[in-house]
Amino acid sequence: MATGNPSVFLLTVNGQIEGANFPEYDNLYCKYCYVYGHDWTPTSGLDEGITQITCKGSQSNKLIWNFPLETTFKSTSPSGWPQLVVSVYGPDVFGNDVVRGYGATHIPITPGQHSRTIPMFVPEPTWRLQKFTSWLLGRRPEFTDPKVVAQGRAEEVRSLRLKLICCKFAPCRKLICCCFLLFQ
Amino acid sequence: MAELHIIGQIVGASGFPQNSLFCKWGVHAGGAWRLLSGLKEGQTQVDNPQIGETAYWSHPIDLHYATKGLQGWPKIHLQVWHQDSFGRCQLHGYGYCHVPSSPGHHRVNCVTWRPLGTWQEQLAHTFVGGGPQLRSPDTIYSGADRYRLHTEAMGTVELELGIIMSRFDKFGVES
Repeated sequence: MATGNPSVFLLTVNGQIEGANFPEYDNLYCKYCYVYGHDWTPTSGLDEGITQITCKGSQSNKLIWNFPLETTFKSTSPSGWPQLVVSVYGPDVFGNDVVRGYGATHIPITPGQHSRTIPMFVPEPTWRLQKFTSWLLGRRPEFTDPKVVAQGRAEEVRSLRLKLICCKFAPCRKLICCCFLLFQ
Repeated sequence: MAELHIIGQIVGASGFPQNSLFCKWGVHAGGAWRLLSGLKEGQTQVDNPQIGETAYWSHPIDLHYATKGLQGWPKIHLQVWHQDSFGRCQLHGYGYCHVPSSPGHHRVNCVTWRPLGTWQEQLAHTFVGGGPQLRSPDTIYSGADRYRLHTEAMGTVELELGIIMSRFDKFGVES
């Protein structure tokens, strides 16, 4: 261990956003980004991205993206461990692009193969009239910055009078992730 | 000083009589423990599940503790509340669990309970809501004075916690 310098370690994430299970919606795409603390910096790979638009196949009810995630982070402390934040969007009845779900999960902290299923939720308008007008006009409540989902300040969200509902299904999607921890 | 990282999330809750739940959580540790970074208490959003009965919060927890001793190992205490369509909040359960003491990824199921009052209070609770609450949250995670309580069982809260321990072996603690 070097004296005087804080020890730096690397976290390499190799995985994919496999797909999603949304029984009521189709033609969805997913945007992802990483949220991490001050000690962390990405050294290679993309910090955020967007998948293709996919629709359900004839044989199964699942939406498949098979989108690669390859990123390496560098840090001096496990505090602020990176989280993957995903937002799923799709068209509504009138053709507007609306948000179908937000979700977040921590990158696994142990090396090896992991599969994660993330439940998704969507902000809900509090008043019934607002629900109707947002459905009609296609302007649903959305987060201005999806990173809020990963920050644990949900009580602030409540103060904006949003209720979050689970999207209509049980597991949302799987993330298969191989993590290598390299200590220097 | 040995260091402990708690990285995970409060996944959700199931088994409660009503949906539209939120959770107030906090972490309590003994005097020898010092919180270096992270929020040690918070409140999740209100979740109203459309499919199934489990309310999902996925609320992140990221804490960094330094300690000089094993006494007072951190405990997570929870209060599950129900919010109805008029915005009124009602207590649905108290629960606590110890933070796991071995490194790695753990799924913890925390059971909850709710205080019961006299039969008049229970009758009023059925019609009007409300119900007795603890005066101070210490009773959730301490055993003192519990014998005075009469409680009923409620649902479970699921947590996923990743634990990273460092320098515990220098103090002779196997991890």
